[in-house]
Amino acid sequence: MAVRVFGVNLIKTNRNLLQNACKTPATTFGHTAVAQLATEVTVQASPAAVQKQKVSKAMRAYLKRANEHDEFMKTQHLEFQIGKRHLANMMGADAETFTQEDINEAISYLFPSGLYDPKARPAMKSPEEVFPARKAAEFDETGRPFHSMFYTGKPNFFQLLHDIVEETRKLADLEERMLRRGNKPDENQKLEMSGFQLLPKDQLELVLVESIADIEYSNFTNSMDRLIASPYAYKSKAFIERFLKPLLDQSKQLEVPKPKIDEQGRQFITTYECLRKTARADVTIRLPGTGKISINGKDISYFEDENCREQLLFPLQFSEMLGKVDVEANVEGGGPSGQAGAIRWGIAMSLRSFVDQEMIESMRLAGLLTRDYRRRERKKFGQEGARRKYTWKKR
Amino acid sequence: MSFLTRIVGKSTSFSGIRLMSVYPQHYVEPIVQKDKQIEQKDELTKLHHIPIKAALNKSSDTVFHDDTKEKLLNYITKKGNSALARTLLSKAFELIKRTQTERLNLAKGDKDKVITNAEVLLKQAVENCRPLLQVTAIKRGGVTYQVPVPITTKRSYFLAMKWLLEAAREKERKVSLPEKLAWEILDAAHGQGRVVKRKDDLHRQCEANRAYAHYRWS
Repeated sequence: MAVRVFGVNLIKTNRNLLQNACKTPATTFGHTAVAQLATEVTVQASPAAVQKQKVSKAMRAYLKRANEHDEFMKTQHLEFQIGKRHLANMMGADAETFTQEDINEAISYLFPSGLYDPKARPAMKSPEEVFPARKAAEFDETGRPFHSMFYTGKPNFFQLLHDIVEETRKLADLEERMLRRGNKPDENQKLEMSGFQLLPKDQLELVLVESIADIEYSNFTNSMDRLIASPYAYKSKAFIERFLKPLLDQSKQLEVPKPKIDEQGRQFITTYECLRKTARADVTIRLPGTGKISINGKDISYFEDENCREQLLFPLQFSEMLGKVDVEANVEGGGPSGQAGAIRWGIAMSLRSFVDQEMIESMRLAGLLTRDYRRRERKKFGQEGARRKYTWKKR
Repeated sequence: MSFLTRIVGKSTSFSGIRLMSVYPQHYVEPIVQKDKQIEQKDELTKLHHIPIKAALNKSSDTVFHDDTKEKLLNYITKKGNSALARTLLSKAFELIKRTQTERLNLAKGDKDKVITNAEVLLKQAVENCRPLLQVTAIKRGGVTYQVPVPITTKRSYFLAMKWLLEAAREKERKVSLPEKLAWEILDAAHGQGRVVKRKDDLHRQCEANRAYAHYRWS
């Protein structure tokens, strides 16, 4: 059972077994292809003539390791199943329908942890997740590599570059032919890239099961960009999409809370922990209202500074809700500008519940919904301030 | 989250330049004014998936907002006292408004020619004070030449506002800054005054030194 309790990996001793173990010929990518086990490429498949030949030392060592790894994974699997059963019994649930989510819940209940980093907390996962996929045998029993680019050290990566160039050439040929025929690329089918991003380096490494250098990654992005820039890029959409990652819509990322109803039958939303500099506020917005503002029991004259008052009204005015809602705020800590900033953010965040999606996006673009994390920069020793250096005279 | 943890890991592996900003590099500047958002509507779809920096605490989207005014406020500010700068500028604007209304009432005939909007006058003044060229000292063969050099739009605006302020600050002790600034702005808006003269002087100097212009590249 692959259980990590308080960050200690119980199966550490078996780590070295995995060092060079396993998996498929290098021509295929993707998690599923990579996760295949080494035993699929074994000696038994070869004819008798080959069997008589000397099996190379490396191959023999590899086969031994692969077998050991297989055994190890088998026992891990078994123990995981038993552990899952125990856990299900402990939680009084059905062991057959106990899912990974239930396991996580049970572990966080049985081993409550206050550790900040989620990775450091105790967890129980299936052995496939705990022991990540490694490359399978890249050579046959005589020691001859399967892949023509085996000796580059990174066959998957260079194969990928080759594939990209091949696709680009194909598209260029297509463009040439279409031009000669006088056809134009279909505007409707145009590849929409605005919601997507190329796979970041670490994820590409996972897909390739190879570690690549920064410059190699930039080679990948450059060649991908060239492919995507082609007017007929939609023809090789399937290929391109394998290396794209969808981006999250920023304004939909945070869930908009539903307004509650108070005693007078008015809708209201309270945003707690509105922070800016060292100020901290909680803001309540009530709809319908008459534009009343109360800050710590006072009205807008709580702020003497003109700029701070303007900041308070900024989100209300921007979303055209000035005079339609009531604002109540409690604020403490910090100076006037910090407090005004905290309340401004609170008002903007609360107003999301009362305006439409388009306005929320507009407010986001105006920078009203972003928490301002900037703080005073500390003074450094050997310097006059945060950045300024002491006057220095050579003589 | 503390300031330092946000800074950590900001160094880019390619350029080697360390970014001191709290925001990660892919954050973009906010578009605060609504009319500017409507102007750039086509490009905004690209920003759907990109996080935005928070709006600054001096930005707003009211009728009172003006980019030139905000920039001038930054130049007036001394030691971070922007509240004082704001009062000074609003006083200057009030004075401009007063003198212009007086002129409007005294004017005979076409009264449309007298502008009473202080913001419009400020913009006119800055526009009138903008230089096109600048002279820089370039040393060639042991001799320093004053070589005329073209300047960017941004710098020309900076110089215009800086000169306006310098002229306003150069005054007797009894006169207040808003008073002097109001005079200078009014003068410059009508194409007269010390600042416009300073610009013309600079242009004249550039014209006189046009023979040295080739030292810029040779």
